[in-house]
Amino acid sequence: MTSQASNASIKKEEEEVAGVPFPPIPKTASSMESNEIESQSGDNVEPQIKTEQENELPTTQALDLDMNNQMNSMKLNEGQILPDQPDIKIINRQINGYVGFANLPKQWHRKSIKNGFSLNLLCVGKGGIGKTTLINSLFNENFDIKDNNNIIPEKPLDLANEDEHGNETDEGLHSNVKIETITKTIEENGVRLKLTVVDAPGFGDAIDNTNAWEPIIKEINSRYDQYLDSENKINRNLNDDNRIHACLYFIEPTAHWLKQIDLEFCSMIHEKCNLIPVIAKSDILTDEEIIRFKERINKQFVERNIQTFKPPVYKLDDKETIDVANKLYESLPYAVVGSNDFVTDPTNPEKTIRGREYPWGIIEVENESQSDFILLRDLLIKQYLEELHERTNNVLYENYRSEKLINLGIKQDNSVFKEFDPNMRQEEEKKLHEAKLAKLEAEMKNVFQLKVSEKEKKLQKSETELFARHKEMKDKLTKQLKALEEKKHQLEMSIQSQAQSSPAQPKKKGFLR
Amino acid sequence: MTTQSVGIANLPNQRYKIVSERGGTFTIMVCGESGLGKTTFINTLFQTTLKHADPHQRRHLPLKKTVDIDLTRAVLEEKNFKMRVNVIDTPGFGDNVNNTKAWQTLVDFIDDQHDSYMRQEQQPHREVKFDLRVHVVLYFIKPTGHGLKPLDIETMKKISSRANLIPVIAKSDTLTLQELQVFKSRIRQVIEAQEIHIFTPPLDFENNSNNKEAVSTDNATTNQDATAAEHARQLIEAMPFAIIGSTTKYDNGQGTQVVARKYPWGLVEVENDNHCDFRKLRSMLLRTYLLDLITSTQDLHYETYRRLRLEGTNGPDDENNMNGNGDSSMPLKAPARKLSHNPKYKEEENALKKYFTDQVKAEEQRFRQWEQNIVNERIRLNGDLEEIQTKVKKLEEQVRSLQLKKR
Repeated sequence: MTSQASNASIKKEEEEVAGVPFPPIPKTASSMESNEIESQSGDNVEPQIKTEQENELPTTQALDLDMNNQMNSMKLNEGQILPDQPDIKIINRQINGYVGFANLPKQWHRKSIKNGFSLNLLCVGKGGIGKTTLINSLFNENFDIKDNNNIIPEKPLDLANEDEHGNETDEGLHSNVKIETITKTIEENGVRLKLTVVDAPGFGDAIDNTNAWEPIIKEINSRYDQYLDSENKINRNLNDDNRIHACLYFIEPTAHWLKQIDLEFCSMIHEKCNLIPVIAKSDILTDEEIIRFKERINKQFVERNIQTFKPPVYKLDDKETIDVANKLYESLPYAVVGSNDFVTDPTNPEKTIRGREYPWGIIEVENESQSDFILLRDLLIKQYLEELHERTNNVLYENYRSEKLINLGIKQDNSVFKEFDPNMRQEEEKKLHEAKLAKLEAEMKNVFQLKVSEKEKKLQKSETELFARHKEMKDKLTKQLKALEEKKHQLEMSIQSQAQSSPAQPKKKGFLR
Repeated sequence: MTTQSVGIANLPNQRYKIVSERGGTFTIMVCGESGLGKTTFINTLFQTTLKHADPHQRRHLPLKKTVDIDLTRAVLEEKNFKMRVNVIDTPGFGDNVNNTKAWQTLVDFIDDQHDSYMRQEQQPHREVKFDLRVHVVLYFIKPTGHGLKPLDIETMKKISSRANLIPVIAKSDTLTLQELQVFKSRIRQVIEAQEIHIFTPPLDFENNSNNKEAVSTDNATTNQDATAAEHARQLIEAMPFAIIGSTTKYDNGQGTQVVARKYPWGLVEVENDNHCDFRKLRSMLLRTYLLDLITSTQDLHYETYRRLRLEGTNGPDDENNMNGNGDSSMPLKAPARKLSHNPKYKEEENALKKYFTDQVKAEEQRFRQWEQNIVNERIRLNGDLEEIQTKVKKLEEQVRSLQLKKR
């Protein structure tokens, strides 16, 4: 009876063991070809590239490895460190025939006319220093749409406040700089320029001008931020560039020194936008005074480490261009005169010219010998407007952006700056693949081993249980057997002794005998 | 009132100067079966041996199932203008018996370059960027005279959604003028029917004159625009361009040396508009529309890739990021690029899986044996027990009978 129960329990165990599921593994018919991949990548692209340089044609002459060297030895911000670059071959050739890619600058020329140009010009200087007049003179336009509510009303208003209340209001004491912008499109010979003048009325007009530059710095930054945001958008349109490309800073014609506020402002701004300082209303200074004033200003700039905009000089530039660039840089700050009026040309009564007429003579705005106005126009528009753009975009904005992103906690990943190399790409892919394969293998092995050992344990367990149960059973049965044997023996003994004492037995014995 | 000019008219010259100084980069991909003259065409186009004919290694090697990327980099200088020229060839394309997914390598390459540029652009410091974005893909069509093959159509479709595509009829000197016209119009029909977007020069002179009412004073510009528009129209009408390539010069019979192919029945001049469209294609690629190829790569194809990648990342969450926290200064993160679809890798993966399946089978076999052994053992042990039990029963019987006896 008991042995049957144990039978059943062993059977049940066995069913469970057999039921342990294995992970589903897709079945494939393909076989392993591990060697083939290695032999493939070994002789792939390398030899083809190598042969290029060896067979240089005699008609083409090798250029200096300019571009190549430039790439390797380029001085970078400490932020960008180029990783080791793959060893790539670059063919250098000079072409004698007319292939036509040299038309690219011409194509740009055409396209730039189609697209038009833009300039966002920041003008900073005290009220009444002649900012608007100078802009009008520079661009032959009238930006003075607010003739009567800009400079004139503000000061009397402040005075009136003081009179009425007997004490200074916040408006009068502390600087109250506003930002005003006017945009106009100017066209000359079919070329369009979208000019935006950003004015900061109120700068330097208060009694306490502490932090008067803050609204202006804020304006510059917010324009950078706006550009940065649009650069990061998913649907982006970077054609609208509101960044400040240049700052005209108007210096009072004191003939003394720059004031503290001038220096503070210039040192705050010269790394944010292209700084072009001008000495306003310079017609009240004699030539010698101007020379001395300029020297002093430049000395002060050097002391404070203030950089004014410097026209770049290129390798392809001829001597004349280089001389012009140097002269433009060395003549800073420009002593300028502006005028909204036209007077009769002293040399030609038929003509009128932009100028100012004094009892002692006529000052001509556009006369190079009388002021630096033409230099300013050359630097700001005619020769270097696009360079103002370039520097704003490539240097000033980039610096602003790097700093901002780093401060936002974005880590520089230099590994992305790599020359593409098909071999390396394959290597990389192979590595990725091998890693993936290894991971897959490890995972499968893990599951496999786990399941195998689980099953092994189960089987072992059922095995030992089988034996244990069997032993138990056997022991029990053996005990039973022994007990029975004992009992039988006893019974036999007792029967025997019974027989001895009873007459029947001897009788029987005797009977049998 | 007279004033000197403000100087705005000089601004295009400033741009001209900056571009001249900086030079340019042009990346061109050639795609088509081997033997269609891709290498020769590149050498003809740039008038220098940039690429050498395939050193017969490849043709004699056993067929590989893959399409490779072959990159040639050069700095060419013409009239003091330096141009970084990258030529990408795709040896192996269309050469196999089974060309399923032959375009994958090409498409991967184009996407890879966009991806790499995007990641470089997102770094806080990015003074130097490596740019191999493909500005144009020349697709070489076999001069069969019949039509486009499914592989042509599929590949062109895939390419045209991510780069400027210009299909060309290779080795067109095997087709007569009439055959060529028929072939061209057939191809154009297919391209239109399949909605393959090929690169066409911009016909934007109308917008231009609308923008500027004052332009009437400037007849030179309008004339130029009209000529440009006419030229563009001619180019569009001639598409797909029929080309021949050669780097050898012959006397054209009038004492001038011309690049041509010499047959017993005549001289095929590469730069003769009556013989082929080489000059038109060169105008499209370099002389007139190089800048349009470059800008449309940036503004259209790169921006499209970028948008799709970034949209794929966060999906609708982006909108919240944009408007909500003012975190729009943060460059958006794009997911990592997937592995290429290298068939070899797939095979390896499957082999590994098979290996494990086999192992599992072997183990299962072992366990089955083991289980069988257990069953056998149990039967044996049960037999053993039964034996004892029988003995016990027998004894019990005996004891019972003894007991009876005793009574």
